[in-house]
Amino acid sequence: MLWTEKYSPRKIDDVLGNKKAIEQIDEWVENWEHGEPQKCLLLIGPPGTGKTTLAHLIAVFFSDHIELNASDKRSFDIIMNTIGEASAATSLFGKGKKLIILDEVDGLHGNEDRGGIRAINKIIKESHHPIIMMANDPYSKRITSLKSKCQVINIRKVHTNSIVALLKRICVKEGIEFEEHVLRTLAKRSNGDLRSAINDLQVIAQGKNSITSNDLEIISEKDNVNNIFDSIRTVLKSKNPKRIKNALRLDSEPGFILEQITENIPREYEKPEEIEKAYDMVAEADMYLGRAFHTRHYGYWKYTYDLMGLGVALAKDETYKKFSRYASSTFYSKLSRNRAKRDLRDRVATKMGEKMHTSRKVAIEQFPYFEIMFQPEDLARDLADYFELDDAEVKQFRKRKIKKRKTKKAPKSTTNKDKSNRKKSSASVVSKKTKTSTKSSKSTEKEEKKVLTEDSNKKDEDKKKKDHSSKSVSKDNGESEKPEAKDNGKQVSLFSFK
Amino acid sequence: MNRPWVEKYRPQTLEEVVGQDHIIQRLKQYVNEESMPNLMFTGPAGVGKTTTAIALAKAMLGEYWKQNFLELNASDARGIDTVRKDIKNFCRLKAVGSPFRIIFLDEVDNMTKDAQHALRREMEMYTKTSSFILSCNYSSKIIDPIQSRCAIFRFAPIKGHQVIQRLEKIANTENIQHTPGTLESIVYFAEGDMRRAVNILQSTATMGTEITEEHVHDVVSKAKPKDVRRIINMALDGDFMGSRDLLREVMVVQGTSGEDMITQVYQEVSRMSMDDLIGSEEYINLVGHIGEYDFRIREGANPRIQLESLLTKFLPKEKAD
Repeated sequence: MLWTEKYSPRKIDDVLGNKKAIEQIDEWVENWEHGEPQKCLLLIGPPGTGKTTLAHLIAVFFSDHIELNASDKRSFDIIMNTIGEASAATSLFGKGKKLIILDEVDGLHGNEDRGGIRAINKIIKESHHPIIMMANDPYSKRITSLKSKCQVINIRKVHTNSIVALLKRICVKEGIEFEEHVLRTLAKRSNGDLRSAINDLQVIAQGKNSITSNDLEIISEKDNVNNIFDSIRTVLKSKNPKRIKNALRLDSEPGFILEQITENIPREYEKPEEIEKAYDMVAEADMYLGRAFHTRHYGYWKYTYDLMGLGVALAKDETYKKFSRYASSTFYSKLSRNRAKRDLRDRVATKMGEKMHTSRKVAIEQFPYFEIMFQPEDLARDLADYFELDDAEVKQFRKRKIKKRKTKKAPKSTTNKDKSNRKKSSASVVSKKTKTSTKSSKSTEKEEKKVLTEDSNKKDEDKKKKDHSSKSVSKDNGESEKPEAKDNGKQVSLFSFK
Repeated sequence: MNRPWVEKYRPQTLEEVVGQDHIIQRLKQYVNEESMPNLMFTGPAGVGKTTTAIALAKAMLGEYWKQNFLELNASDARGIDTVRKDIKNFCRLKAVGSPFRIIFLDEVDNMTKDAQHALRREMEMYTKTSSFILSCNYSSKIIDPIQSRCAIFRFAPIKGHQVIQRLEKIANTENIQHTPGTLESIVYFAEGDMRRAVNILQSTATMGTEITEEHVHDVVSKAKPKDVRRIINMALDGDFMGSRDLLREVMVVQGTSGEDMITQVYQEVSRMSMDDLIGSEEYINLVGHIGEYDFRIREGANPRIQLESLLTKFLPKEKAD
């Protein structure tokens, strides 16, 4: 049996530390018992401080309890099905209240548990039953919306002395002789995490009569989850394999860690030789990431970790005695800054890929040639029609507008620097135009003419509207009208955004 | 109306396909027998894998080929779910107007192993109603169970004179005059990739009705991923951060693929060696590195990290005395 369970407190008063928090919880329970509905409780605190234990201890004061924790999948549907129905219903005998326990609410997964927070909010709103929730990270974005609706109780780390006292009691009950400093080391190492302290004690003491400082060696320091920049600092500043290995115990994907280490190599290392060597290591580490992904054999990750950790660390001649400002990879910021451009590129590539039976990647590889082909007006117009690109999408290949055509085929022209109202009205014409013109490519010219006249009527309307607007007629408006006059009003001037 | 010539002159029948004679012969036998095993087409880009697949489908399925042919390319999200759903929906209906249905999956080597395993199951389940054609660049990235279920056809790069013949035909139809050596230089830059060859030809044709070797060089240098020279020069000057930043900019914004970038780096380095800007020792050393990174990128490593690493090779090092 796990000692953490065996020596788990039986009464709420037995819980170590956090006296004030426990008083608040007591009061909350009493109020419920007196039939006064309370806000739901949100216990926030580091792991191993007794949050879950407390929740279970107060469960006995209620007629029943339902629990969901991180090991359950917690999407909107699942939460609503398991808890939603139960919580909305009142018990037959009126008085009975069910305690709803939601553990690790900050651990709701963005993807798998889609809508989870929404479901919880809904339940809080509708439920007549007491709800208690637990979370580790007070700053988690996921729980911000919950905090305002709950009574938040902070649970603090357990004091080292309290932990030592408890460990002593356990040793006495288990009949184990101990040296006090051993227990103190265990308590300190646990960093206020009572559960891990008891677990460590069980590992070194179970089945023995006594424990000494030698026994401490068999358990390593606790797996602390580190902050990414601390880890990078360790990798770039240290050469100690143990410290580096520990530093890379991070709660992130190795690909992300690799990216961040890579980013900061030239921010710390100054000699080209060191940068080269360190980059050799991350490049090799990256190969194993690729292999792991393609083969789904994630055992390769261990090589990634060693190469990007110790490998990079050993690339330096000696540690730089300077303060380096580390930064998050510019790659990510570039990605988000250029989202619009990338979306445009991908949209164009998808359209072209459909026509040319290729993937986006292959289509993009051909872009440079299309940039050239899109220079002559006629070809550009035809290609745009063929790929069904609208004016905004044509921008991928040419900066200038496509001039109107003298013959009767889908005219396309663009002007820059337009007033926004003009942009809007003309943009709608544009999309209509592209559609109609592609559809009608097979039909007779007569029909096309008709379409065009219709559209030019529309254009005239637009223009009238525009003339009524307070904006004065701009220079490029004059420009766009000149060729129009030549074409006897058959052509439509279309605008797009710069 | 003008169309991209790659589509306008895409061979529509098996007979028209260029440069894969032995493969076409076998495929025609399948057409005669009105049955075919699952096929896998492997080979580099632009050698006719997709063209052959579509032409085969037309020959095999006859008039109603469009209804009985499903083409899924790598842009479509192709996780396990898509494989299961789309293929299942398509396969469980019986072919109407054709002897069976054909599913064409492009760039299978970009699917993860898990998705490939899912695909393998689908291939087994619908053997009666459907046949699969898979295409990939590298058959080594395809799991064995799939390879063993397919007749594998290896497409070779198209030979120079065959590319020239084809370009000649297109040029004639389009009334493009060309001076001697023009098509040869296109072939040189296309490296056996017909798609690229045709695109270069059409791009060059925008320069006028008579095209020359000069024009081709002009087009090819314009079509190069931009800024490769600047990236290399910055690294050579010791500005690693600047060089790295520009590389990222180019890859993120222009979407230039790792393969394209590294080819350009190679061509740039080779030009520098020709112009005596770098010594032959240094050149051969760099080529060794470029080759290695090229291989890694094609093996599935992150192209950007590999290219950044390649850049460090250009940094000026202190001479060890």
